[in-house]
Amino acid sequence: MENSDILILDGAMGTMLQAAGLKTEELPETWNITHPERVAEIHRRYLEAGSRVLYTNTFGANRRKAAGCGYTPAELIRGAVRCAREAAGTQSVKIALDIGPIGQLLEPLGDLGFEEAYDIFREMVTAGEEAGADLVVFETMSDLYEVKAAVLAAKENTKLPVWTTMTFEANGRSFLGVTVPAMALTLTGLGVDALGFNCSLGPKELLPMAEELREWTDLPLILKPNAGLPDPATGEYRITPAEFAAELRKALPLGVFALGGCCGTTPDFIRTLCETLECAEPAAQKAVRRHGVCCAVGTAEMSGVRVVGERINPTGKKRFQQALRERDFHYIVRQGIEQQDAGAEILDVNVGLPGVDEVVLMRETVKALQAAVDLPLQIDSSDPAAIEVGLRVYNGKAIVNSVNGRQEVLEAVLPLCKKYGAAVVGLCMDENGIPRTAAGRVEIAERILRAAESYGIPQQDVYIDCLTLTVSAQQEQAMETLKAVQMVKETLGLHTTLGVSNISFGLPAREIISASFLSQALYAGLDIPIINPNQSTMMDAVAAFRALSGQDGDCEDYIRRFSRAKTPGQSLSKTDRRLSIQEAILRGLGRETALLTEEALREMDELAVIERLLIPALDEVGDRYERQELFLPQLIKAANAACVGFELIKKRIACRGGQTLSRGKILLATVQGDIHDIGKNIVKVVLENYGYTVLDLGRDVPPKRIVETAVRENVHLVGLSALMTTTVPSMAETIAQLRQSGHSCKIMVGGAVLTPEYADEIGADFYAKDAKQSADIAKQVLG
Amino acid sequence: MDAKLDNIPRAETLHYLAWHGTPLTEELEKDLDRCEAMILETAQPRLVWRLFTLEADGRFSGTDYVPGGTDVGIFLSGCEQVVLLAATLGVEAENLIRRAQVRNMADAIILDAAGSAAIETVCDTFCRELAEKLAPRYLTERFSPGYGDYPLTDQRVIFRLLDVSRRIGVNLTESDLMIPQKSVTALIGVSDTPHKYRQSGCESCSGRFTCAYRKEGKTCGKL
Repeated sequence: MENSDILILDGAMGTMLQAAGLKTEELPETWNITHPERVAEIHRRYLEAGSRVLYTNTFGANRRKAAGCGYTPAELIRGAVRCAREAAGTQSVKIALDIGPIGQLLEPLGDLGFEEAYDIFREMVTAGEEAGADLVVFETMSDLYEVKAAVLAAKENTKLPVWTTMTFEANGRSFLGVTVPAMALTLTGLGVDALGFNCSLGPKELLPMAEELREWTDLPLILKPNAGLPDPATGEYRITPAEFAAELRKALPLGVFALGGCCGTTPDFIRTLCETLECAEPAAQKAVRRHGVCCAVGTAEMSGVRVVGERINPTGKKRFQQALRERDFHYIVRQGIEQQDAGAEILDVNVGLPGVDEVVLMRETVKALQAAVDLPLQIDSSDPAAIEVGLRVYNGKAIVNSVNGRQEVLEAVLPLCKKYGAAVVGLCMDENGIPRTAAGRVEIAERILRAAESYGIPQQDVYIDCLTLTVSAQQEQAMETLKAVQMVKETLGLHTTLGVSNISFGLPAREIISASFLSQALYAGLDIPIINPNQSTMMDAVAAFRALSGQDGDCEDYIRRFSRAKTPGQSLSKTDRRLSIQEAILRGLGRETALLTEEALREMDELAVIERLLIPALDEVGDRYERQELFLPQLIKAANAACVGFELIKKRIACRGGQTLSRGKILLATVQGDIHDIGKNIVKVVLENYGYTVLDLGRDVPPKRIVETAVRENVHLVGLSALMTTTVPSMAETIAQLRQSGHSCKIMVGGAVLTPEYADEIGADFYAKDAKQSADIAKQVLG
Repeated sequence: MDAKLDNIPRAETLHYLAWHGTPLTEELEKDLDRCEAMILETAQPRLVWRLFTLEADGRFSGTDYVPGGTDVGIFLSGCEQVVLLAATLGVEAENLIRRAQVRNMADAIILDAAGSAAIETVCDTFCRELAEKLAPRYLTERFSPGYGDYPLTDQRVIFRLLDVSRRIGVNLTESDLMIPQKSVTALIGVSDTPHKYRQSGCESCSGRFTCAYRKEGKTCGKL
């Protein structure tokens, strides 16, 4: 039953195994060993129906799901490939090693590390290749990060072609919120051989998503939908084989590569599908129209202006440098959130500073940012090792900032961009410096483009930075830069980027020059301005340009931006003036607290403001909370308001290059096995607002890491949280290991299931019933 | 029956916030309104369920599954059938609550409480509809792994029986906790006579891990 060039896949395995007697609580993959003849029989029936690719019965044959089943993943996989080979006999069919989700969620939501996921997939794909599979297919995936670990594992450890299909919901997103463009951009970048959808929905519901996918990728498309939507009452699929085939046929104009079925489909569905497609001609593939960069849940399409926020960068920022040295990722993430709120669409991430481990900082910063911000990242470093680690742990398609015309830089960085599918910024400079003429810069831009293409990086992923020079120092260069932008755009057809702020260095009223230069650069063809989005004049210029250029249809965004109510000015009104810092904090008024703190700093030094105003205010808040006059959200609001005051003081001290003001270091962690961490996070906020430095190790933290950190950072107060009866032993173990280490420290514990007696029994020094009490304990231990 | 979530009862949100009954300020009322609205807007409630007949030896029909521990047996005594339910608010609400912990912890606390109230509301609505559907037969309360001596490790089997991860996108951690956290798995007994057994105390409450009353050694008085 050979038909057109469309490859026919098989149908459901699970449905067929259950019909053959598999119990729902049995691991289906064990049948590869216990009932190989029945598994082979299912393959045979699909072959007879017309399948030309057999998916092995290995969907859940991973080390985690197979734990306790009596077989290793490799044994299950060997058995599965044997079943498929036996069924195939001498026929020319491909055997696809089928791999589904691990069944445990990856960080940041889940407790599975990226590298651990990679290792689980590595074990499976190497076993599959050894067993003789022809290709590997990752399917039913809903987490883009998990797919990335899987694809890297396959490409780095085997020579097998890699197919990837993900599962989407009716709202056009996966369970984890992944969008179709994000999937297309990321997987195309990672170099999979074919991609598409499986499971999810029926063929009818899948079609619009397949159309969207086609707009973003030129890779071969796979569709393997369910037999319609399940009946909500019975869970059964009700579409007929003929309806299924007729609906799938409608996808042919998209130029599909392979079709098959998922849940609820049987050999009958595949047979009917083959018959329906017999005389169908596959359509020619359309050219990809859309491109850009993305995170898992959002895309910055490269059409029109896309603002890159420049604030995550230590250059010239003492407070940021301090945060990097102290690994205060909370501070860094807040810079990201602030820029997102101000309208940034991509965030530049630069964490290079003399004396810090940039590789480690880049990894942790990227992880922290992508857990909190929905924007694509631009990895900004001159160290290829930092670039690689950033790209590896990034969930999406990133931009690398940057390469330049120097051969050794191109050779070190471009292969990384290709491997991880990143776009790249090329600076118009080389070993001879920055050419003084626009033509000289365009020449370097072209050289960078050719080099990128030689590594297989497509033209639309090369962004050229014509370089902004300071107008107060090299006045004639401003116009030369604009000319270069225009030429790169016109002659090379590339997107352009510029770090705009540099133009005004050394001049008064910097924002005026910067915004004016920005407007002119945008007109010259600048697509990707790197600016400080927190400066409203800069974002105003972008908004105006979008309206003038037609990108902002009917000037809607412009009107919305400027018809918003004016924000109150930065001075206190008459009524506010009567407010004391204490009242402002009690009422949780952050802005007022900041202004009053500033006022107080005119008369007192920083330490006095903290000790005489901020801390007593917090103590009063705490007392009222104890007396139940305040309620938890009010306590936290007050603490946040105080924090604004503390932050102001920190910044002043950092700017002076002075010592950090801290009342002492405290380590906090939710113990291993526990993921309920909101309680720990509340304690953290309160302790920080009382002026302590908190090292937050997060949740599900192994005892060893807690001990190591306590010793390395010389921490003398450790706070442990556990919310489950089942994780209290893990807390006891952590305490035991801390004591064994000989490191002298006090330990406080808290969490819903703990009692003072229990805390005593497991060897803790203190029991903290709430966040307020943890601050009291900190005061007692650290002063 | 689909998952439904039309509103979040204010009393439930306050309950999870361990409100002591002090008068709410106007500002706090606004925060509560705003956070509940955010949960309602963001949540993608989903559920999956299956009805089993209880075999004489305690097995769920068509499977070899017998719930662990002795408490489930007592809870289901007198029931001929049992409904296995898994429900979630989805990963979107989870992200909303997690991210609020970076942006604004005061909001995060209210969102967390409103999220707990919301998933319980989804389950309550489901149970009400199920009761109508199965009338004149009676339903028991909900009983979840972790209640009494019903082991958390049974989550793995429940997840397989309902195909939970694939159907509604909930996953288990290494220690058998659910992510998104605003998710519930539960047994609901079905019998011809009103059930006598009623779990009492905090062990049968899904708020038991985060309940502030409990931390203070008190109870909310509901059970």
